[in-house]
Amino acid sequence: MSTPARRRLMRDFKRLQEDPPCGVSAAPTDNNIMLWNAVIFGPEDTPFEDGTFKLTLEFTEEYPNKPPTVRFVSKMFHPNIYADGKICLDILQNRWSPTYDVSAILTSIQSLLDEPNPNSPANSVAAQLYQENKREYEKKVQAIVEQSWAEVPEEDHVL
Amino acid sequence: MADTGGDNGPGKKAADKMFSLKKWNAVAMWSWDVECDTCAICRVQVMDACLRCQAENKQEDCVVVWGECNHSFHNCCMSLWVKQNNRCPLCQQEWVVQRIGK
Repeated sequence: MSTPARRRLMRDFKRLQEDPPCGVSAAPTDNNIMLWNAVIFGPEDTPFEDGTFKLTLEFTEEYPNKPPTVRFVSKMFHPNIYADGKICLDILQNRWSPTYDVSAILTSIQSLLDEPNPNSPANSVAAQLYQENKREYEKKVQAIVEQSWAEVPEEDHVL
Repeated sequence: MADTGGDNGPGKKAADKMFSLKKWNAVAMWSWDVECDTCAICRVQVMDACLRCQAENKQEDCVVVWGECNHSFHNCCMSLWVKQNNRCPLCQQEWVVQRIGK
């Protein structure tokens, strides 16, 4: 069954393959184009460097008029990421535009990693450490970077 | 270059009447005069039918809409979006229709 949302997602996938953005990777799950697995690599020269963070993107038939539900599967430590992996990012909520695609969403999340917005904390401990104790913040981030490697083998097929 | 020019020197005089212009074909290149030729919402060229109309076999009814900001989209794609947010999805300006057509 092909609906406008599914066709648009096929186009997103084609664009991802033809013009792969740096440091992110994504593909629809085997039998459901509305559910995608993705990986974001921690950007260089940031505490998140070398991390391989897994996410899921869940689309509805209203895409691209409504944003997908995006959440981290990998454990995260970040001022704008909730404990359950949900992300507090304006473009995934009130600043959504139907011109965004999977590639744009993942690239925005990747840049959020090193540019947290302490004004809308989703993880108050991370937000506080980020502002008051960078050294301790980076230590906690380093721990989740190492955890992200341990999770790689089970989700190998994503890459 | 100067040397070859010198070699051609004597030939030039003889070639005076070798050619006469019989026919002139002008070739013009053109492109659509719109700022964005792909609908940024469904990612199909604005001059082709949008994904929804393609699926419903309504290619003929699918028209283009231009905003005052000069951004263009399929009218169907845009009418669904403005229901939720009356701003241009590309520049965030308030959406005011400038023209609808093909």
